[in-house]
Amino acid sequence: MSGGDGISGRQSGRLSAAAYFGCVALLTLAGVGLSILAQPALGHDMLQLMGLERVPQADSASFYAKRVTPLLETRCAACHGEKRQKSDLRLDSFAGLLRGGKHGAVIRPGDTKNSELSLRISLPSSDDRAMPPSGKPPLTEDEKTVIRLWIAHGASGVLRDIAGAPKPVAEVKLPELDTARVEKQRAPLAAMVRRLQGRFPGVIAYEARDTADLEINASLRATDFGDADLQALAPLAARIVRADLSGTAVTDASLPVLAAMPKLKNLRLSGTKVGDIRGLEAAPALKSLSVVNTKVSGSALAAFKAKGITVYGGGDGP
Amino acid sequence: MKPVADMKNIHQLDLAQIQAQTRRHFLGWGTGGLGAFFLNSTLANAAPAGGHAPLDFARNPATPLSVLPPQFAGKIKRVIYLHMGGAPSQLELFDYKPTLARFHGHDCPESFIKGKRLAFIQGIPKLLGPMFPFHRAGKSGTWISDRLPHLERAIDDLCVIKSMKTDQFNHAPAQLLVHTGDARTGYASLGSWVTYGLGSENQNLPGFIVLISNGGTTANAGKPLWGSGFLPSVYQGVACRSAGEPVLYLDNPKSVSRAERRKVLDAVDEINRQTYQQFGNPETVTRIAQYEMAFRMQLEASDAMDIRREPKAVLERYGAEPGKTSYANNCLVARRLAERGVRYIQLYHWGWDSHGTPTDEGLNVGLVGRCRDTDKATAALLADLKARGLLEDTLVVWGGEFGRTPMWENRGGQEMEFIGRDHHPNCFTIWMAGGGIKHGISYGETDDMGYEIARNPVEVRDLHATMLYLLGFDYRRLNYPYQGLDQKLTGVKPARIVSEILA
Repeated sequence: MSGGDGISGRQSGRLSAAAYFGCVALLTLAGVGLSILAQPALGHDMLQLMGLERVPQADSASFYAKRVTPLLETRCAACHGEKRQKSDLRLDSFAGLLRGGKHGAVIRPGDTKNSELSLRISLPSSDDRAMPPSGKPPLTEDEKTVIRLWIAHGASGVLRDIAGAPKPVAEVKLPELDTARVEKQRAPLAAMVRRLQGRFPGVIAYEARDTADLEINASLRATDFGDADLQALAPLAARIVRADLSGTAVTDASLPVLAAMPKLKNLRLSGTKVGDIRGLEAAPALKSLSVVNTKVSGSALAAFKAKGITVYGGGDGP
Repeated sequence: MKPVADMKNIHQLDLAQIQAQTRRHFLGWGTGGLGAFFLNSTLANAAPAGGHAPLDFARNPATPLSVLPPQFAGKIKRVIYLHMGGAPSQLELFDYKPTLARFHGHDCPESFIKGKRLAFIQGIPKLLGPMFPFHRAGKSGTWISDRLPHLERAIDDLCVIKSMKTDQFNHAPAQLLVHTGDARTGYASLGSWVTYGLGSENQNLPGFIVLISNGGTTANAGKPLWGSGFLPSVYQGVACRSAGEPVLYLDNPKSVSRAERRKVLDAVDEINRQTYQQFGNPETVTRIAQYEMAFRMQLEASDAMDIRREPKAVLERYGAEPGKTSYANNCLVARRLAERGVRYIQLYHWGWDSHGTPTDEGLNVGLVGRCRDTDKATAALLADLKARGLLEDTLVVWGGEFGRTPMWENRGGQEMEFIGRDHHPNCFTIWMAGGGIKHGISYGETDDMGYEIARNPVEVRDLHATMLYLLGFDYRRLNYPYQGLDQKLTGVKPARIVSEILA
């Protein structure tokens, strides 16, 4: 209280209002300036908040978006993202990555050696500062290379390709199932397929749900299935891509029927009575033929091999 | 079979529908009215994977194993899975680490153990270099140790994946993860999913057959490894014995003829049919189907399992001895089952848990023995399938449930009498051979110490997704509605088809 009296007593030294507010402003600015020096990210935050600086955005077709983002999201964002911001660092956005954390920037564009992010992911997992931290799987070599190359090339949000980057893993394209289209393809023979499926249970099946192509497997009917039965399947011949006739009673008499199947890719005749298979190589789509435990001679197979058809068995056989 | 086949499926469908309804569905309907306006826009974005209609796996309950076509043309028709129970050491067989050899006997770096939970290692263990010499083999130059001289001949048919990982370091949960996609019991096994999705070509044999060797103690995780979980029970694996009767109590008792057995079955079937008409539970129809299959199996299974019918030269190639229970016999049976249209053939050979505690768990004793049990037969199986043209559309998978540490196990902080390694989930090696995948390649790498994956990690669910892809399925669409979810083998985490190994 006495101090207050003292100040009020010194009338002559009283600051004008302008000077007072000037001092406050100056001190505030100095404070802000110092904290920005200590934590540069703060400055960007403030400028961006005031709309004086654009929030950095990456192009969706950029190398960053395609290759770096998925890595950061799956391997870093659990601790440096929306839910948790360890060290006040967020790696779930381009802006956050450029902004850095409470210890400053994590990236120096073009300077991999001095970029904290690159350093941290390169440390052996024994190091306390290694990222992801001990206990979490480290980034793979390819993943590290992707991040380092991106920094070395300027940590750009627009650059699309970086020469020498490890190839991205190819995604397998899974075919769409268009039921209406498949039904249309199957329609002309659908009734016939059903009828023959009824007559030969378990022998005829569609190759897949997305095609009208057929497979036949008569091997489990063994010698109950013979030349006449195969003949009965003739209406479907144009659709058959695979035929397993192993152990059935079919003979050489069936070979012309098989040779005329335009789509037949795989044919199994193992353990049958076929002997003279000459001419079968004319089957236009044939890719593989099994004649294990048959009388087919080795010499008959040359024509098949010449056409690039893989032959199993024949000749000496197993 | 005929009267059963004539039965109406309506009751079955009704029941299935009631069972499929859950609280989630009720709440789903309850969101009609006001909420619908909002949900209409929200749900449009949340539609499952492209908004496909679910694939239809409905079958006549009397023929639950009938063949259904895959979603798209698959590369393979069947799977033979050779599980080496106990987890064989990748560092003694496939994953060559010369750097680790250099540091043999040194203290393990602190980073390997700091903050980690290991199954048995305590304190600071020593590093353990490879126990056996390695060399490159085949045209592919694939690394392999001298413990597998027979497999080496088939090395160019293999796709060796050195970067498998799991999140389980105890046998039972790790085995469950490999075979059911989840570390807990109660989930459907891979073989069940495949049989559910595709059925089986041979209606006189189960579509999913399990063959066990060296298993005084069977699997750590037991029968749930081939259980059907929430799938209908008919898709579970059937464990068959390779000596004596393939399935216990399948044969007729002495003095009961096949005709008498038929009469008994007819009577039982009739009672079951009445039960079904009364209660409408489709499992009753399935039971009739199972009894009938067992009756047909009396002939077919005995024939399929009977390796005495094989020529002597073939028995010798496998090292098979009729009348014994052995891995070699099981490999030969596996080929016979593959020829007979069995969809999924699962072999288990136990005893790879090389801790170094008892003799049989030493890398220098037990592992050597296990290699001797299996090497010749595995190679013979691959060669035999290849010669018969069956490897074209069969997938053979070999592997354990996790890997082993680059550290010498020191159980209780003590030096052990025999040399062993601890459980290691971070990386392990499996191989595949057969249709649709590249052969003569190694995929993925571990670091120089063989401790972590350095390149191309493959999760167990990625392996599953890849296998289902080879069989003709998008892993997201081989579903079964249960507890309000469209259950799938790979679980809820995103999986990846390992495109780099596809041929």
